[in-house]
Amino acid sequence: MTTFFPQQLFYLDPLAIFFLAVIGLVSLPSAVFSVGYLRSESPARRALAWVLFLAFALSMCLVVVSGNLFSFLVFWELMSLFSYFLVVFDHTHEKSVRAGTVYFVMTHIGTALIMAAFLILYAQAGSFDFTAVKQAASAMPGSARNIVFLLLFLGFAAKAGVAPLHIWLPLAHPQAPSHISSMMSGVMIKIAVYGMARFFILCLGTGPAWWGGCILAFAVVSCLIGVIYALMDHDLKRLLAYHSVENIGIILLGVGAAMFFTSKGMPAEAALALCAGLYHLINHALFKALLFLCSGSVVKATGIRDMEKMGGLIKVMPWTAGFFLVGAMGISALPPLNGFVSEWLMFQSFFAGIINSFGGVKLYMVLCAAALALTSGLAAACFVKAFGITFLALPRSRRAQDAHEVSLSMKLGMGFLAAMVVLFGVGAGVVFPLIMRVAQETLGIPGGPVALPTRLLAVAPVGQASISPFLMTAVLGLTALAAFIWFRFVSRRKKSTYNTWDCGYYDLDSRNEYTATAFSKKFRFAFSFFLLPYRKVDKIRESFYHVRSFTYETHTTAVFEKHIYKPLLGLIYGMALRMRKLQPGSINLYILYIFLALVILIGITGVLNP
Amino acid sequence: MGLALILGGFLVATFLMVVAKRITALIAAFRLQSLCLFLYVFGMALTQKHFELFVVSALVLVLKAVLIPFLLARIVRRIKVEEDLGLIVNPQVSLAVALLLTYLSYVFARSIIVPQEALRLASFVVSLAAFCAGFFIMASRMKALAQVLGLLAMENGIFLAAAAIAGGMPFFAELALFFDIFIFVIIIELFVYKVNRLFTHIDTSKMDSLKG
Repeated sequence: MTTFFPQQLFYLDPLAIFFLAVIGLVSLPSAVFSVGYLRSESPARRALAWVLFLAFALSMCLVVVSGNLFSFLVFWELMSLFSYFLVVFDHTHEKSVRAGTVYFVMTHIGTALIMAAFLILYAQAGSFDFTAVKQAASAMPGSARNIVFLLLFLGFAAKAGVAPLHIWLPLAHPQAPSHISSMMSGVMIKIAVYGMARFFILCLGTGPAWWGGCILAFAVVSCLIGVIYALMDHDLKRLLAYHSVENIGIILLGVGAAMFFTSKGMPAEAALALCAGLYHLINHALFKALLFLCSGSVVKATGIRDMEKMGGLIKVMPWTAGFFLVGAMGISALPPLNGFVSEWLMFQSFFAGIINSFGGVKLYMVLCAAALALTSGLAAACFVKAFGITFLALPRSRRAQDAHEVSLSMKLGMGFLAAMVVLFGVGAGVVFPLIMRVAQETLGIPGGPVALPTRLLAVAPVGQASISPFLMTAVLGLTALAAFIWFRFVSRRKKSTYNTWDCGYYDLDSRNEYTATAFSKKFRFAFSFFLLPYRKVDKIRESFYHVRSFTYETHTTAVFEKHIYKPLLGLIYGMALRMRKLQPGSINLYILYIFLALVILIGITGVLNP
Repeated sequence: MGLALILGGFLVATFLMVVAKRITALIAAFRLQSLCLFLYVFGMALTQKHFELFVVSALVLVLKAVLIPFLLARIVRRIKVEEDLGLIVNPQVSLAVALLLTYLSYVFARSIIVPQEALRLASFVVSLAAFCAGFFIMASRMKALAQVLGLLAMENGIFLAAAAIAGGMPFFAELALFFDIFIFVIIIELFVYKVNRLFTHIDTSKMDSLKG
């Protein structure tokens, strides 16, 4: 029966509730943070920011609980529109407007693909409701299912910022106000992951193995590209945006592996992979929101986003620095914080897959796991750079020197998220069974009652492998305490204050410091086959011995922009220019077009029916 | 036989419109075309003895053959533009195109109407030819008044087709159509006058300066 009006308004299953929790966990501290962050704005603009913020958060919640394709699409579009308005909130900046335009175009290309897929599903099911679509999807012919999968995957990938559709993300996320950056990076791009989990796993079924393999391939590319670009970038917020590309890749590794394992008949491994993906999703939401809020505090206090001009902020902004350090440790997957737990689970699922599979599949899993390992290492390096250059050493500019600690509401927002980052790591034994249950329900695997946390709050997914972040914390804490006691009370070593040894130069200032560019140089070399770095040297000499001015710039080539987007845009503009010749502005010519169309039609009809 | 002759006159009047080089000549040809249309409808009314057809023919005579040409001639006198229509295609080629269009109409009409009904076939060919010729005038003349007269010629063609093929449209539809045409001409008269005052010409070929 064909019904246009959907019967099923809401669809609340564990997956939807999980995402509601993620939205709530990030929206609340972001809202608190924005009280202090927006203080310098005029009341009217403050009110506008609040209205847009709430509408944005609400539309995301409604996407997640939608029970039919129609309302899903409507709220999806509302979410895109509200976030667009928030990106161009500083509409006086030309950069914001440009970033907003790129975002707008990319997100609507994605929406168009999703809409096409939904229309195919509607044509098959005769209804917009999820349950009807699910029944019809299992009866669909294979080719139609493949087309729907590809359309949906590309559509959601454009929103999630999967490489090479990520170009809007490093433009739009940094340009929005910081609490919005945290919402967009922390939550909005995850809604696309929700769409994938909902429509691939729950509606279409997990499909043939190449679906999962395809997602895994895109995920690996996203991971590596995201983290490599993040290493090269010295704009604090853009660096974080690139890390979102990387982390979406890690999350999709979990989703893709889950689909892959299901199609290979390995439900236990699939549940573990999806659980790892979802765990990393909530972790990334927490620490990325925290890091964006911290960067917002830094930007608010200094007025600059370029790391090379910061430095020494730990002395003037100790709270912000501390929270940033927690977030950076989380995202670098240092035990016992939350990023460690989810990445460990991800490795466990890959190892389980490697053990239980054969031949090429085994190799593929090994490659994915290796890429994940490389990504984690590079991410840690990147945050050494971000924290070290931004917060340590001497201030590199006047503005960094004159910075002050931010207001209480901003500290509260950051503090809540930092506490969550710690809790989701140390308390992993409690969180893991819950998320595992969500993953099992989503994959349709009968799971028993939610397992109680085991001894020492350990996480024990498969086999003998288990970790206890709680125990780790205890050991780490005790060691630190012992070391402190040793150096404070037992050791007789005298403390002496000295200048940094500078070969007898005695006049070191901030210009002698290590810079972010220098730090990332070795990575620029290592990945030069992809980054294609080039340098510009400009010397003005008075004589051979006396150089009056010397400038040195080093850049990397934006490969995707140069080789994919530029030619594509050029093609579109070229076609538009050629089309424009049809429209010279002459009434007579326009009438002639209609006339010719008519005459040709009459002629064709006359010839065809003699 | 009489109706066939009138149709011939209609077609000749249409060709006269196509070859006209001056606005006044175009209006005169249009008047002739409308007169032929009146005669055709009047002839049909005589043979079919429908009261409504008499009313319609009277309306054709009053509106299309007298009032509209008069209004258009008045605006030409009032705005005192040069007479030239601004031909994009010269009269000889225009006539050739019109002949070609007439042949095309014949080819098309043959595919719809069986040749045994000679009068209906001829009426349809002539009406379609008038329609196409009106279109052609709109496309190939630069002055705004030529577009108006081209449109009116198209309207005459459609009217003829309706009368010949379907035996006329419903009476009230005909009345409404006449009213429409009349109002259209009045409004156009006003506009042409204003446009001429503002820009000192009514040349549509200069509209491309509006393009961004």
